[in-house]
Amino acid sequence: MYIKLIQLQKERSEAMPNKPLSELRPKERGRVVKVGGEGGVHRRLLDMGLVSGSEVEVERVAPLGDPIEIKIRGYHLSLRKEEAINIQVEVE
Amino acid sequence: MDRQEILQASEQSLAHLRSIYSDEAETVVADARYGFISGLLKDVLKKPPIERLTLSDKIDKVVVNRWLGLPLFLAMMYGMFQFVFTLSVPFMDWIDAGFGWLSELAAGIGGWPGSLLADGIIGGVGSVLIFIPPIFLLFMAISVLEDCGYMARAAFVMDRLMHKVGLHGRSFIPMILGFGCNIPGIMACRTIENPKDRITTILINPFIPCGARLPIFVLLAGYFFAAHAGLVVFSMYIIGIIVAIIMALVFRKTLFRGVSGHFVMELPPYRLPTIKGVLVHLWERGSLFLRKAGSIIFSVVVLIWLLDYTGVLEPIGRAIAPIFAPCGFGQWQAAVSLFFGFLAKEVVVGTMGTLFAAEEEVLGGAIAAQLGWTPLVAFAFMVFCVLYVPCVAAIATIKGETNSWKWPVFAIFYTTAIAWIAATLIFQIGNLFVG
Repeated sequence: MYIKLIQLQKERSEAMPNKPLSELRPKERGRVVKVGGEGGVHRRLLDMGLVSGSEVEVERVAPLGDPIEIKIRGYHLSLRKEEAINIQVEVE
Repeated sequence: MDRQEILQASEQSLAHLRSIYSDEAETVVADARYGFISGLLKDVLKKPPIERLTLSDKIDKVVVNRWLGLPLFLAMMYGMFQFVFTLSVPFMDWIDAGFGWLSELAAGIGGWPGSLLADGIIGGVGSVLIFIPPIFLLFMAISVLEDCGYMARAAFVMDRLMHKVGLHGRSFIPMILGFGCNIPGIMACRTIENPKDRITTILINPFIPCGARLPIFVLLAGYFFAAHAGLVVFSMYIIGIIVAIIMALVFRKTLFRGVSGHFVMELPPYRLPTIKGVLVHLWERGSLFLRKAGSIIFSVVVLIWLLDYTGVLEPIGRAIAPIFAPCGFGQWQAAVSLFFGFLAKEVVVGTMGTLFAAEEEVLGGAIAAQLGWTPLVAFAFMVFCVLYVPCVAAIATIKGETNSWKWPVFAIFYTTAIAWIAATLIFQIGNLFVG
């Protein structure tokens, strides 16, 4: 039973491609699957509401190509691509 | 329970949580916290079915636009300085007229008391107080930009550049504050978590031309570059910023190697700044300048008048002056002004005012006539003033913020060395073309 559940999750995750948040283009939406990263950055991302399950939308990329602005939980958050790379997103 | 036991207990709990959730405890706590928040919001919050574009979103479409973002940022900074200078002219004229009248009245007393009052106190303090309008207007402009939410966008637009030189988007706010006064700028570095980022940002902050250096620019650019004064003053700011960036890069490659901190921060919705909020900010920063003008500057101008009246000032100036000969301003009056500028940058102008016994209005002419300065010399002198030694109060702040004498002493010497090199280069290379 438990093994079946894991298999189901695996199939689902294969069907829904996971991408790091840094690779999403403006107006693309997704659901956070996993938040990685080093201690300080990791904690900060969690504090700002980037936990698995939360919906994110990339709003825009800064004029010089970095950082990016995302919409999460009804507010706007900016983060660098090197930080967004730690966030796995299930693209809608 | 002693320390050891507490640590052991917490380690055990963490291991327990890890075994249940197969995830780190901080992730579990964050998940639970936001899980609770989402559940609560579902119960109590009704969202409109279609997401509307808010006014904030519309503004951001332009302000942080891919193509317009950077030019708009530069235009915003340029517009800020133009606003400050244009609007402050009439106020400065009034203050000038007031002090001129007072000075004449005091000179009527005659003898040394008359000289102390007219040339020393009224001349010296007057030539500093006249800069209250531009300094306060600059503080006001910064407050408005901060309160309306633009500052966060500025950090967003500039982070790539800051990050390239090894700094952090948050290093940008202390630098912006440095335009008003380096002391709050240096103090604002507290928000930078990474120690390497923090000390680098503290050490380069004095290169950001503070409000106190504005009097020097306004005086010299106004007289020597009359038609292009705004542009020349703007260039001083650009030079300060460029040197700050270069030094940040140098520090990050030598003294402070390693990665810099993160840039995960909110971009708050735009808000109309309240008059009260702006005035509170204005007063917090402006009163610092007034207190300085009231205490340090007042005592300095009296001291200078005394040294001058007794004939001691000139020998001191003549002793230091040769050091500045390669920069083009090897006159003892310039040396004395720079020497006292260590106490507070606005004193440079106050000292000149006392030395030439001239009000701000005619001071530029007096400098040109008596020292034989050309626009090139004035430019080199302004650049020197942008870069050289932070004022006493800033040094004290660096000492407090880094909790050591190492960095303030280092700051005194390295900034002055760079100022001397820059001014010499400008004067010598400029001479090849002009002279």
